[in-house]
Amino acid sequence: MDLENTKAQMRKGILEYCILSVLSRNSCYASDIIKELKEAEVIVVEGTLYPLLTRQKNAGLLSYRWEESQQGPPRKYYELTEDGRKHLEELDKSWQQLVESVNLIRTR
Amino acid sequence: MMDKTININLGGNLFQIDGDAFLILRDYLQAINNRFRNVQGGLETIEDIESRIAEIFQSQKGLAGVISKENVEAMISIIGKPEDFDISLDEEEPPVYTSHKRRLYRNPDDSIISGVCGGIGAYLNTDPVLFRILFVISALIFGTGFFIYLVLWIALPQAYTDNQKKELFGNINYSTRLQGRQSDSPLKSGSSVYNTAYSNKPGANNAFNEIVRAIGKVFYIALRIFLIIFGVLFVITGFLFILSFIMVFVFKYPGAFSTDNFDMSLNYFPDFLNYIVSPAVAPWIIALTSIVVILPMLALIYWGVKMIFWFRARDGVFSLIGLVLWVLCITALALILFNEGISFAETARSSTQKILSNTPDTLYIMTGEKISNLNVDKELSINEEGYSVYINETDKELYIRPYLNINTSDGDETRIEVRKRSSGRSELDALRKTEELSYNYSINGDTILLDEYFKISGERKWAADNVGINLYIPEGTFIKIDNDSGSLFHNRNYRRNRYYSGSERWTSGDRLYLLTKNGLKSINL
Repeated sequence: MDLENTKAQMRKGILEYCILSVLSRNSCYASDIIKELKEAEVIVVEGTLYPLLTRQKNAGLLSYRWEESQQGPPRKYYELTEDGRKHLEELDKSWQQLVESVNLIRTR
Repeated sequence: MMDKTININLGGNLFQIDGDAFLILRDYLQAINNRFRNVQGGLETIEDIESRIAEIFQSQKGLAGVISKENVEAMISIIGKPEDFDISLDEEEPPVYTSHKRRLYRNPDDSIISGVCGGIGAYLNTDPVLFRILFVISALIFGTGFFIYLVLWIALPQAYTDNQKKELFGNINYSTRLQGRQSDSPLKSGSSVYNTAYSNKPGANNAFNEIVRAIGKVFYIALRIFLIIFGVLFVITGFLFILSFIMVFVFKYPGAFSTDNFDMSLNYFPDFLNYIVSPAVAPWIIALTSIVVILPMLALIYWGVKMIFWFRARDGVFSLIGLVLWVLCITALALILFNEGISFAETARSSTQKILSNTPDTLYIMTGEKISNLNVDKELSINEEGYSVYINETDKELYIRPYLNINTSDGDETRIEVRKRSSGRSELDALRKTEELSYNYSINGDTILLDEYFKISGERKWAADNVGINLYIPEGTFIKIDNDSGSLFHNRNYRRNRYYSGSERWTSGDRLYLLTKNGLKSINL
């Protein structure tokens, strides 16, 4: 059994949930999301985030607008859509469920 | 060996990079591209990652420094290699490859007012100053340039993203433009970053593919040229029409419309309208006609501009509003015209006759009251037969030339018949209207004095009125016609006469004729 692979699999599962959670507090740039996720040690490399953002945007969970930045070209400023919020609520519930289930099994 | 630096463009920023660092970066971008290009939304992801790379480089070196191999490696460790990304992607159909398409945008990086000229310059790979000058010059010609500029400003989106800029400049142009003057870099040019990163055709060297692509390109260019030519024609046509329309209806200058075949002097038509329809609806008719004519011309100009510059615009709503407006206007116009047209539904004729007491050998036809002595403000010629309406604005009177017919009489008597014709809502109405036409003539021995006009007075509207003077004269009579009466002589019967060809215009001076079995025969004085 490859330990790293299992860890990666676990992270993959919760990553989309984490992105939505970060954005539910306040809308921000991709680099802000990266910062939070890195601090929480949910992602290892930044590249992971971008395809997920694209996918969630295409699924209508989040939207972005262009914001001017002091240096360089405009940057994408992401925020949660109404659909995204509903989606997140569902994920919140199922996360609670998951934690309870795991705890139940572990403490038996 | 790799001590040269290369200029590259990443995420809209220009960087200087070491030759060896460039190779690593290129491979890395290639790997990212391979990973995502066949994923839905993959191009966007690639762009996002490129922007992030630019951000990282910028935080490492600022815009001025040279990116080293270490910088690139540090960047890769931050973003990670594609195989390290903790994601499972559903491989899907490759997305429609769009980056080779050229589109016109406003260029925010090269703008004086709104970037329209900058955009056109970038799009056509020409100095924008040229277009700025062209716009200024053409703005002096009836504001044409100003108008086109406004349309483009509204219609063209601004190029925000890197991809839009690539569409605006064209892939190669965009990167080489930003690359600067350094062309002897180890890898020919910095544009190879894009060439490698954005080329997803592995078998591109295949000769057959090359030929097919070349033929396709020829067709594409032919199509573009075709569209540009048509677009230009559309724009020119649209402008000419609007210009003519404005000239005729606003400046009352007939120039643009008058040809030899079509010499109805439209210039006074708006004024004449008051004498055809009730004055209350006349301005409506003019306004609605203007919209009905000008709206499609504006659309034509817009389509033309769109065809020339090949841009996409969110114009659906405007088109729909325009179309609805146009249909409403044309419906309203049709209703008004129909309502007014009813008063021309029926025609009626009335005629009076008088027999001359004596039958002269020579009959003199002279002019009584002349049009040239009238106080006439405007003249509107309705048809080529000489049917003209003369308008006296102060007295609200209309004067029209009657037509004169000379026929061979059955018996020995000389007879004059005046036939009046008008249109009306009903036959009775039309008949009543004929009575409002006043035409005067007098008989004095062997002279008939004919007025050159009949009169419609008392603000009575024009009802396609006409007066015909029929003279029935015995065969063998000489007829002497003076100049002004002769100009009444425009009826078809007369023209059909072999002695007088239709092309012969009435020349000044009196004329002498002999009435024969076959009609009038001209006798030289």
